[in-house]
Amino acid sequence: MLQLIVAGLTVGSGYALVALGIHIILRATRIVNFAQGEFVIAGGLLAYSITTWLHASIWVALAGATTIGFGLGLAFERFVLRPAARVGETAETIATIGTVYVLLYGHALIWGSLPQPLPFFSGGERDRLFTLGGVELGAQQLWALALLVVALAVLRLFFDRTTYGKAIRAAANNPLGARLVGIDVDRARAVSVGIAIALAAFGGTLIGPITLVGGAGGVAISIKGFVGAIVGGLDSPLGCTLGGLFVGVLEKLLEGRYGYGIAEPIVYSLLLVTLLVRPAGFFGSRRAVRD
Amino acid sequence: MRDRLRADARLLPFIAAAVAVFGVLLRGDANLMQAATFAAIDSVPAIGLSLLLGNVAQISLGQAGFFGIGAYTLGLLTTLGEPPGMPPWLAFALGTGAGTLLAAAFGLLLGVIALRFRGHYLAMATLAFGLIAAGVFRESPQLGGAGGIQNIPFPQLGPLTIAGGAAFWYAWAMVALAAWLATNLLRGQSGWAFEAIRNDELAAEAIGVPTRRYKIAAFTFAGGLAGFAGSFYSAYLGTIDPSAVGVSLSIDFLLMVVLGGAGGVAGAIMGATLIGVANVYGHELENWRPVIYGVLVIVVVVFFPNGLAGLVRRPRRRTGARVNGAAALARTQLSAPSAPAQAAEPACWLAVENVSKTFGGLVAVDGVSFALRSGTLSSLIGPNGAGKTTLFNAVCGIGKVDAGRVLVAGRDVTAWRPHRIAGLRVGRSFQNARLFGDMTVLENVAAGAFVLEGATIGADLFGLPASRRCVRAARERAAAVVASLGLEPLAGICAKDLAFGDRRRVELARALAAGPRLLLLDEPAAGLNAAERARLRDDLLALRARGLTLLLIEHDMRLVMEVSDRVMVLDFGRLIADGAPQAVREDPRVVAAYLGTASA
Repeated sequence: MLQLIVAGLTVGSGYALVALGIHIILRATRIVNFAQGEFVIAGGLLAYSITTWLHASIWVALAGATTIGFGLGLAFERFVLRPAARVGETAETIATIGTVYVLLYGHALIWGSLPQPLPFFSGGERDRLFTLGGVELGAQQLWALALLVVALAVLRLFFDRTTYGKAIRAAANNPLGARLVGIDVDRARAVSVGIAIALAAFGGTLIGPITLVGGAGGVAISIKGFVGAIVGGLDSPLGCTLGGLFVGVLEKLLEGRYGYGIAEPIVYSLLLVTLLVRPAGFFGSRRAVRD
Repeated sequence: MRDRLRADARLLPFIAAAVAVFGVLLRGDANLMQAATFAAIDSVPAIGLSLLLGNVAQISLGQAGFFGIGAYTLGLLTTLGEPPGMPPWLAFALGTGAGTLLAAAFGLLLGVIALRFRGHYLAMATLAFGLIAAGVFRESPQLGGAGGIQNIPFPQLGPLTIAGGAAFWYAWAMVALAAWLATNLLRGQSGWAFEAIRNDELAAEAIGVPTRRYKIAAFTFAGGLAGFAGSFYSAYLGTIDPSAVGVSLSIDFLLMVVLGGAGGVAGAIMGATLIGVANVYGHELENWRPVIYGVLVIVVVVFFPNGLAGLVRRPRRRTGARVNGAAALARTQLSAPSAPAQAAEPACWLAVENVSKTFGGLVAVDGVSFALRSGTLSSLIGPNGAGKTTLFNAVCGIGKVDAGRVLVAGRDVTAWRPHRIAGLRVGRSFQNARLFGDMTVLENVAAGAFVLEGATIGADLFGLPASRRCVRAARERAAAVVASLGLEPLAGICAKDLAFGDRRRVELARALAAGPRLLLLDEPAAGLNAAERARLRDDLLALRARGLTLLLIEHDMRLVMEVSDRVMVLDFGRLIADGAPQAVREDPRVVAAYLGTASA
């Protein structure tokens, strides 16, 4: 049981990062990015290439993938989200779904359709294992959770303490008002999307050694990230994080009991049930839902 | 609005001819025939999705779920082992019928759920439905689990086995049936309701469109079509397994509709055919194919939001409207358009009893009561933020009131939906003139006229005479109202291109087309120039002379004093004065509310 919870927290940290990325993009652009999970995979694959082609260490790969992720995010905002936003909400949704196709099969074109392994952060061919109170922990699981917390803390500090972070929040809350006080709203949006995609790439590198990256994994990560975001509350960063972790744990517990095939539809039902019973999610405010 | 129907009318004969020529000339090429059969099978759910997405503006990422329901229902029913004496054609017919109905029933269910969501929340809710359906197909041992159902017998139609060339003709006959039903819906009152909902849901309710019913109907229709196609799919292939009806199929349907052009029938068929052909000839492209689809979808949705079908739509005529209002005008009078015989006019059209409404901590309306005598013109005035529009909304059923009752013609309508209140012949205008931007002036007014008509969705679906009669009557009445307000020169202009003053007048016309007995006008004079204002004054007096009960919100005091029988003053949500215009003007509390007091 405890073992399953730990495993759940590990995959859940991936979902949490997706949920958080969806939240950041939604806040900045009012667009729900259906392709967020594909960017997680993209980040993991980029890190894989950095380690194999350049023979760089996983830490270099982590930094590299995150940086390239930021650039991808800027391009994604400029060439997909911004043009689609001029057409309307349905166009936005459809454009991000189109992006799923491009990335999902684009990955297969570049890296092949089989998932690839990433090296472990602690080095070695296999993960180092600890036993803590009867529960077996992998070093990578600890790395993933610890670095997730670090990433969240950095983001929190950026958005709450730095002038630019505050400007981005202002641009998201009230674009017109932000424009009037001299904030470059378009750039703030682009940077927000960049941050969200960088976060996805970062997450892909973190969980890559455990789950492997590539193949069709991104679709499942996207959707479960969503479920986490909806359950926790799309407009609450805390809710998104906890929601993602919760979905991970729930998934692993159900899987342990009933097998993978049953766990998945139950997790997806959670999305529908939450939308019906408490559409704002656990930590969200109600007003976000109807518009 | 009619441009999509016109595009369909122009394209569908070509499509039909192309299908016929193809079927005859290429009947020897088994591969091509099969590809064309699949294109037809995909066209049917695509038509349903096209209606949802393009005509009602409801996205659905769950269309494959309904397709699967149809496919599995037929698969199950035809492989259970026939009851003795049941011929194969009957099993196929029953399977198709049951698959279609079951999918439609689930469509209805999803429609009910979808009422609660908009935009990306709707996308997610429908996606969840598709995922759950896929999971159920995969995990149910009764449905064969991951292996699915095999050895489904070929469909039989009488002595005919539907395979090969016969399947091609049967599949395209299915498309024709789906296209016929969809076109009927769009041509009837339902099509007008869809268009109103797509443009402005709140305004649609306010003119009496039961928006929920129509949205649910659209989901039911889309689900039913997908189930219909799915049931043939599994019989044609002889097998159905979960991988065939996963979420990626839902996305494919979306792709087809977006590429072909959402809204109407022709775009969906073209999109499905395009993807069907690309799937056959694009095999050597392997993973490039979906990447290209993805890029294509983004490009199309951004640069050609109307898709392929949009390319054949002619630009809208700006003027030169065809309005045959003169004859109709001779029969009708301004504001009293061939209304059914009136029941005895109640003495009091509107009574508001102790109504209160708060937003968060703010008390917008605070225990307001009044009653309007029939055939009078009253004005509700007060400073900005006094709660006037909130009170209007309370009367129209927009937003729940926290306390009190609203009675229209003696009936308690407090918890009613806006369209039902409109159905009691209550018309209204909005402060910012909420017209249906993509409709012409005449169409806007016609949309308002439907509240007096009573065609059912079923009559629309099968194109019954009642459906056509109802549309004709609404158009005629609209033409009469347009003529009576002198709007003929604008009749063919798209509402979004109108000048502000004209928008107000068109909104008045739309409200009048419904033959209202109680008319609520929210700042009808705001933004009007002197000439328009004078015309409005004459209109108001004429309407009162015809026996309508009117309630205005207005800031133009001169107008208020000129036309009102009675003036009520609202300040901070409370009624502070109520009486004849002259008396109210001299009331010290009113003066204080508007100008402030020395002590304040």
